[in-house]
Amino acid sequence: MAQVIIQGFLLSGLYALIAVGFTMIFSVGRVLNLAYGVYIMLGGYVYYVAVQILSLPKFPSFLLAGLAGIVFGVLTYLVLVKRFEKDPIAVEISTLILAVVMQAVIVLIFSTAPRSMWPLIPGRFEVFGVSILKNILFATAVSWVVLGSLMVFIHKTHIGRAIRAVSMDAKGAAVSGIDPQRINLVTWALSGVLGAIAGVFFATYTQLDPGMWVFPLITAVAVVIVGGIGSIIGSLIAAHIIGFMEVATTTWISADLRGVFTMALIIVVLVVAPKGLLGKAEL
Amino acid sequence: MGTNRMTFFSIMATAAVFMAGVLCSPVTMAAKDPVVVGYIGSFDSDTGKSTIRGAEIAIEELNAAGGVLGGRQIKLVKADTREDVTEGIKAYEYLAETEKVDFIISGSIDDVSLSWLPRMAEYKIPTLDTWTSYVGIIDMVVNEYDKYKMYFMNVACDYALATLYVDFGKDILADKMGWKTTVVLQEDTAFGGGVFELVDQMLAPEAGIEIIDHIVYDTNTVDFSPIFSKAAESKPDFIYLISSVRSQVPSSQYVKLQVPVPMTGINVAAFGKDFWNDTGQMGGGTSTLSPIPSVGFAMDDRTKAFVEKYEAKYGNSRPIFPHFNGFNAYYGMYNAFNAAERAGGFAPLDAWVTEMENEDLKIYKDGKLWLRYGFWKPGEIEPRTNREYTHNIKFDITQPLDDGAPSMVVIQWYEDGSTAVVYPEKYATGEFGVPSWIK
Repeated sequence: MAQVIIQGFLLSGLYALIAVGFTMIFSVGRVLNLAYGVYIMLGGYVYYVAVQILSLPKFPSFLLAGLAGIVFGVLTYLVLVKRFEKDPIAVEISTLILAVVMQAVIVLIFSTAPRSMWPLIPGRFEVFGVSILKNILFATAVSWVVLGSLMVFIHKTHIGRAIRAVSMDAKGAAVSGIDPQRINLVTWALSGVLGAIAGVFFATYTQLDPGMWVFPLITAVAVVIVGGIGSIIGSLIAAHIIGFMEVATTTWISADLRGVFTMALIIVVLVVAPKGLLGKAEL
Repeated sequence: MGTNRMTFFSIMATAAVFMAGVLCSPVTMAAKDPVVVGYIGSFDSDTGKSTIRGAEIAIEELNAAGGVLGGRQIKLVKADTREDVTEGIKAYEYLAETEKVDFIISGSIDDVSLSWLPRMAEYKIPTLDTWTSYVGIIDMVVNEYDKYKMYFMNVACDYALATLYVDFGKDILADKMGWKTTVVLQEDTAFGGGVFELVDQMLAPEAGIEIIDHIVYDTNTVDFSPIFSKAAESKPDFIYLISSVRSQVPSSQYVKLQVPVPMTGINVAAFGKDFWNDTGQMGGGTSTLSPIPSVGFAMDDRTKAFVEKYEAKYGNSRPIFPHFNGFNAYYGMYNAFNAAERAGGFAPLDAWVTEMENEDLKIYKDGKLWLRYGFWKPGEIEPRTNREYTHNIKFDITQPLDDGAPSMVVIQWYEDGSTAVVYPEKYATGEFGVPSWIK
């Protein structure tokens, strides 16, 4: 039981970090960004190149990965999303194609071979006989700090309030002097940096490979559906439900079924509570 | 003058006849047309690239030596399967219909080879597989020889791999290490299921090692913490890993988590020298079964020369050292063209198949038979397993392994990044070990 609680808690923190950037885009822009997994992949690869190939120190490399996420997020918005703003389906298709193209680019540069990354914080310790990696514990801590900061940012800063206003009613926000396109740009940049940060932790915990964008995207979609579209708190709760459920399934039922229960949960939520646990229209 | 004119006309006529003869002779016609070899497999994976490069080096050597089949040059064309079964079928059709290849060399994975086999039987193109080890394909050749006789596989099939691996289990894991129980950690793939079936049948009765738990995991698993915890809770003497897809994940998490149970088995990622950097230098303590030749494998002069050419030609482009199928592609090309020379080409098919069955390239090291690129013939029975392996490489799984190369070796990665073969004894260059954190 101790194992399920500890490992479930750690995995959930990582999932929450992965999902929050995806939630923001949907709440503000009202579009599903299917290239979100690319921010995660990009963060991982940039950090890998910086630390393990160029031998740069970890902290600047971490910032570099975040910067790459911002740049890619902004570019995605300016080059693709802005053009299809009134057509969410076109956005979904174009972002999905972008993800596939980026996967091909990564293959071209790095080949298909998976690579392991050095942890940001090396080492491990045991609690109640359960092995805990310092890296994943750090990721969980960062996840909570990031989510807390994001809540403060959204509720207490001028830009944050503008983001909320646009997420509630873009036209109304525009009437009151807020530039929705600028706010969208900020949101895509935020989503990019959150995805890239999550990518560094995700890749140091698992591995780098050109297909690594798919799993976080599925996780993010699952978290957003279960938690409720547009709710950061809901995403946090859903990430913990899914994280604990996966660890419990692996431990008590079958490692092979860990993803199946998540999918089943999505279907149940869609049928019973289509808006998710804390679903609402705005952040 | 008249005589001179006659002489002139005679010379011109003779020259014209000679030129016409030369231009129309089969040799000259053939010299214009290269022999086309098709590669089928992944373009991007380390294993796919190994087959391509092994074939390329052999082709360069054969062309430089004056060509083949009467001085014709060999041309290599490639078709990418992307390790996908549908793409595999399309790739085979492309090589057959568009490129009209004479011979196909494959670096395909098991499922992909299975997908294009019906096409091969239809087009009747001589085909050599260098990576696939699925015994089911060999059984197809055994059971339907006329249909599949153009197929050869020059890696020992998984049944032969498992047989010798069980010997390793008995000699090293059970007798030397004193291990009696294991938890099998198996990926959910056809390969994983097939290997588990063999291990399940053989490990307990042959090596006296009991499987106390069997955990099947999805290949997309990103978090192995609960899986390793579950395995460790059963308190086995060791974990037996069967992993061919994304093997770096369990490998590196095993090291990061410092799982307190030794782990060995099949870890395909650990076959190549790139494994060390791919795991962020965290792959120490990993050991795995590998077909041969492998990293840590002591090389004879000819194989060493091949590796030197490979390293000079491809430098730091990964894979920096050929996987076993790169060697197989290199020697396999020689097998195929030696057979073609004797048969007069790749057609008629039966003549080539007969000569390919007669191929027996023996490579010695320090006076000992070290590698053998020959094939089991139809009806020939392997004495230890008492079954036929028609057109599979002529492996030897009976000690003292003096009738051919073994079906596999066990390689060990040490914590300083060095490697060695630790089993079988004839090929051993180091000692089997466990990671330093295991007491």
